[in-house]
Amino acid sequence: MLNTLIANLPYLIKGAAVTVWLSLIVLTFGTLLGTLLGLSAAVGGRPIRLVVTAYIFVLRGVPVLVVMLLGYYAFPTLDPALGATLGLRAGAYAAVAVAQIVYVAAFVAEIVRSAVLSVPAGQIAAAKSLGMRRLAILAHVVLPQATRLAIPPLLNNSLTAIKQTSYISVVGAWELTYAAREVVERTLAAFQIFLGVMAIYFLICYPLSMLARWCEKRLVVMH
Amino acid sequence: MDYLAQTFHLLRALFPRLVEGFGVTIGVGISAMALALAGSLLLLAPRMAKSRLIRMPVESYIELMRNTPLLLQIYLIYFGLPLLGFFPSEFLCGVVGIALQHTAFLVEILRGGIESISRRQWEAASAIGMRRLATFQYVILPQAFLRVMGPLGNQLIILVKDTSLVSAIGVMELTMVGKMAIERSAVSIEIFMAIAVFYLALTTLLGVVLRLIEQRTAARL
Repeated sequence: MLNTLIANLPYLIKGAAVTVWLSLIVLTFGTLLGTLLGLSAAVGGRPIRLVVTAYIFVLRGVPVLVVMLLGYYAFPTLDPALGATLGLRAGAYAAVAVAQIVYVAAFVAEIVRSAVLSVPAGQIAAAKSLGMRRLAILAHVVLPQATRLAIPPLLNNSLTAIKQTSYISVVGAWELTYAAREVVERTLAAFQIFLGVMAIYFLICYPLSMLARWCEKRLVVMH
Repeated sequence: MDYLAQTFHLLRALFPRLVEGFGVTIGVGISAMALALAGSLLLLAPRMAKSRLIRMPVESYIELMRNTPLLLQIYLIYFGLPLLGFFPSEFLCGVVGIALQHTAFLVEILRGGIESISRRQWEAASAIGMRRLATFQYVILPQAFLRVMGPLGNQLIILVKDTSLVSAIGVMELTMVGKMAIERSAVSIEIFMAIAVFYLALTTLLGVVLRLIEQRTAARL
């Protein structure tokens, strides 16, 4: 009954490997960029704050698919030579990966910014009155508390980001969801293949979502 | 100046089609929203049931929906239903797919809101002689509603953005219209800026409306 799925499983697992790779790249760089943006928005001056707030506002209000399509179509026009040297497929990967990183970073930035700002102002005043420097206050007072607060939403955000990598199949880059569509178009076994691939995604995502829930219970302390 | 004039000309020519696509996007969004809200209200009682037997199927459904990509769920419906002898339109497949996933998220949000109201309020209400249903309706629900509005609004905004995914099964909504226009005209950034403005307007408007509702409710409590 599941023979079509079993016959195509190696192909799908190859796709899953690409999905995992893409997720790791997007999550690593997206979280780094987002943390940097969020921190500078929380502690930086007015101009930085304005720029980051605008960045967050625009990207959070637009579907990721639109950002990815923009990356996909605009990438070659910006630098045709690059697209040619990388080859069309590599170009597509680079374009959508950059687009996803930029998109994920906006959500991370918002989480980090609000976590830092949620540390009560009284604590910062108290630290100042003890004679602590700005950097020391940030490192020893603000960040430890903000980290606890930010980790559960960051994990949930990572979950969304992993699921979002499936959207790059719409732009034509090959990964798990694209592989699934190929197999279904060849074999017409829509239920077997799509349910099987959903199971693969589930295996990737479920541990992370359990971790997120565990952290929500353990890390968040009410003030 | 030449560039500006050209872009303006292109976008003006494209405008009616973008508006048409925007209309479809709004249609998908409102239908999916209504379905998802109805679905989540329907699943809320079984999700919060005391009996594990009733709770289990709903919990598994929610876990499945939360841990798999929406795109695959839409594909499953779109490519799967014809095998069973049903031939719904792309529009319907997209709406149902989006609604099925967001139902799961909404149930969890609603449950979180109701459970966040302290047990003592139930006890206090029963101490002054209120029945369970009355307690729920007059004491718990108004407060839960207020607490739920924030996350609920965020989820609905995500839903609106997710409508762009139905372009993958060929619904002519805003993203699809833009994609086709780009493939035809080879102008990319300008057209996508226009699309982004449409989406931004829609999500911002929705955010403002939801915040207004929240404030109104808060004022009445």
